[in-house]
Amino acid sequence: MILLQLVSDGLLLGAVYALFSSGLTLIWGMMNVINFAHGDFVMLAMYVAFFAYTSLHLGPAIFVPLSAIVLFGFGVLVYLALVRHVMRGPMLAQIISTFGLALVMQYTALWVFSANFVSLPGTLVGGVYDFGGIRLSAARLLAGAIALMLTLGMHLLLTRTDLGSRMLAVSEDRVAAALVGIRPDPMQALAWGLGAASTGVAGALIALFFYVSPSVGDAFTLIAFVTVCLGGFGSVPGALLAGLAIGVIESLSAYWFGPPMKDVAVYGLFVALLWVRPQGLLGRA
Amino acid sequence: MRPRRALPVAVLVVLLLSPFFSFSPFYQRVAALVVLAAISASAWNVLGGYAGQVSFGHSVYFGVGAYSALLAFTKLGLPPIAGAPLGVMVSVAISVLIGLPSFRLRGHYFSMATFAIAALAELLVISWNFAGGAIGMMGPANSRSLADLLFRGSLPYYVIFLVVLAILLALTHLMQRSRMGFYLRAIGSGERAAESLGVPVRRYKLYALLLSGAFTALAGSLYAVMIGFIDPDSGFGVLISVNMVVMAALGGAGTLFGPLIGAIILVPLSEASNAFFGGGGSGAAYIVYGVIIMLIARFSPGGVAEWWRILSRRRVRRAA
Amino acid sequence: MLLEARGIVKAFGAFHAVDGADLLLQEAELLGLIGPNGAGKSTFFNCLSGDTRPTAGTIRFRGTEVTTRPPDAHGRLGLARTFQVPIVFDTMTVRENVMVGAFLRHAQRRAAAEKADEVLAFTGLAEQANLPATALGTPGRKRLEIARALATEPVLLLLDEALAGLPSSEVEAAIDLVRRIHARGITLIVVEHIMEVIHRLTQRVLVFNQGRVIAEGTPAEVTADPAVITAYLGRRARK
Repeated sequence: MILLQLVSDGLLLGAVYALFSSGLTLIWGMMNVINFAHGDFVMLAMYVAFFAYTSLHLGPAIFVPLSAIVLFGFGVLVYLALVRHVMRGPMLAQIISTFGLALVMQYTALWVFSANFVSLPGTLVGGVYDFGGIRLSAARLLAGAIALMLTLGMHLLLTRTDLGSRMLAVSEDRVAAALVGIRPDPMQALAWGLGAASTGVAGALIALFFYVSPSVGDAFTLIAFVTVCLGGFGSVPGALLAGLAIGVIESLSAYWFGPPMKDVAVYGLFVALLWVRPQGLLGRA
Repeated sequence: MRPRRALPVAVLVVLLLSPFFSFSPFYQRVAALVVLAAISASAWNVLGGYAGQVSFGHSVYFGVGAYSALLAFTKLGLPPIAGAPLGVMVSVAISVLIGLPSFRLRGHYFSMATFAIAALAELLVISWNFAGGAIGMMGPANSRSLADLLFRGSLPYYVIFLVVLAILLALTHLMQRSRMGFYLRAIGSGERAAESLGVPVRRYKLYALLLSGAFTALAGSLYAVMIGFIDPDSGFGVLISVNMVVMAALGGAGTLFGPLIGAIILVPLSEASNAFFGGGGSGAAYIVYGVIIMLIARFSPGGVAEWWRILSRRRVRRAA
Repeated sequence: MLLEARGIVKAFGAFHAVDGADLLLQEAELLGLIGPNGAGKSTFFNCLSGDTRPTAGTIRFRGTEVTTRPPDAHGRLGLARTFQVPIVFDTMTVRENVMVGAFLRHAQRRAAAEKADEVLAFTGLAEQANLPATALGTPGRKRLEIARALATEPVLLLLDEALAGLPSSEVEAAIDLVRRIHARGITLIVVEHIMEVIHRLTQRVLVFNQGRVIAEGTPAEVTADPAVITAYLGRRARK
């Protein structure tokens, strides 16, 4: 029974991980650029949600989409102002650029909000329900369900729509795509926007049941990275499966070995992956 | 010496000699910290600057060196510096066991992997109670012999660090001119082409990592000797890696003196902000570091060294 | 037999880029490899150079099995290649670029520099030796690619569209360079689209289409072959 509880909790959280990780895999797959600030995007989204509620008194039905929109805009801005230029430059510049962004975001947040944890009321979307012995909070249920739907939605967008095929074309071969009339620039900006929007939704959802603090960025970035690695670079379905798996692994390790060890399990898994199968479960290396 | 080189060399020499003529203990301490930072940044530069493998995980080597030094003291009663060789040996082992497989990943992926490995290392050390867990360890409170290297002023540390830096830079210079240097630079600017020319890429990346990791570990040991305290954050924290990367990139990654220049600019900046803002000041320094990184990436990836090259070329053209 | 490739298959999922191709190459040959776009010749080329691992088939170079060995092993054994889009080491000068190649056979800096200078003179880049490699335009970079590969003292040189995109003024010099390389005793495989170059340079040509070799012979024989004409121009063109 405990096992079922842990697995359920893990799956629900894992779905949220899958959501923001698929955002990262989209960016990554498109442009071979890592967003080191991805976890800090999630952090920003959490603060947007928090302040939308506490200062503007907006409910989750509004602040979740709001967060997505704000982060979408932020992602496009980052692409236009920074990424688009460094992509043309040397590798060192490409790699450190988003790392610098992560530093600025994290330490500005630390400066402005201080290191205190804050959180939204736990009962914002409802209480805790009992499903035959398994206790699940409405917040986690909602977050997991929405995350799952949106991740699937992203996959459908990429594979079933015209826009999606254009984005995939650019990710496969930028030059060839340009030759057939698909301009890479707007597609890449869109990828960043969507990738950021996924963190927007994910962050707002996580804020429903998790504490908000400037320092969560690093951990989320690493989870996103390990998830993308496990699921395969560029694969949204891979990110989904991997996200769920990571959620469950975290949940089980926290119970068996203690909360600090959950991160150890995840990072340790990653190091083991380096040895065994660097290209992940479903990805192209 | 060509005239355009004489001025910066003279400035550098004056700067390097200045602590001996200063009456300010603060200045001397900052000078020692600058050189220590330059050692780490120059070590990082071998792998990240020349060979182009941007590691965000060098904090692991630094921490290994620092912890080896203080473990030698707290567990064996030895002078902390005696732990440095152990630190270097462990760093070699880590380079082979973890570093080598991580070279299967390239570019961004490699960098992210190093970040994850460093995060893992820090978490493991926090739970390692033998080494003081989250609290860390302290060095000798009183000097038992000269070997403890416990000096009241910073000048002796400055001298020791300068010697180590000089050795590292000399080795790097020799390497730069040798086959290894050419191969590393080729790997850094065109790995596929390098391979097609018969360069054993993995082997040379490992060589670079061995040199880079060993000197970073040494820097860690020296840090522990001077500061006399180490904990998971000051030994294995991600900010240690950040410092190395920013300094090398700002001064000019892949150049011999770039990391030193970066250290000369940034260390006094962060020490000043610490003194000015108090504890919260270190946060402000990292906002500045992040902005600097983004500006370098966006506008001038070659750092100060690149500006200098562009400026001096313009001067030559105007003179011609 | 210098290079033997038998039964090479390269599959990407269900798609076979190379679908059972053979190549037998003797020393001192100057072989051309042609075919329409998407025919698989680049993939085949990459299998020969070690950049791509074939799904099936074997490749022997100078009697040694090299099918699954990485590109640097090929380089050391004496098989060098150039890239269609030149990759220059942008932090180094032209001479230093070539020295990277020279270091394969000369471990000391001075010897490598001498070798590099010799190759630079041979390929007509001596004047640009001290320039940053990034200062070269596309024709210069293509020549640099060749110089670098020559510095490794190869026995076999694979040229990947080395003349593509060159202005006509440069094509003549390039043809001359390839001839001089051949005269030095180096065997060559040349992938090209420009038929004039193929006619003038090569003695034997392999034509690729849809992952297989569809014709083989002298340039004249091959261009008159109906199967080749169909492959390039479609069935109607035969009339």
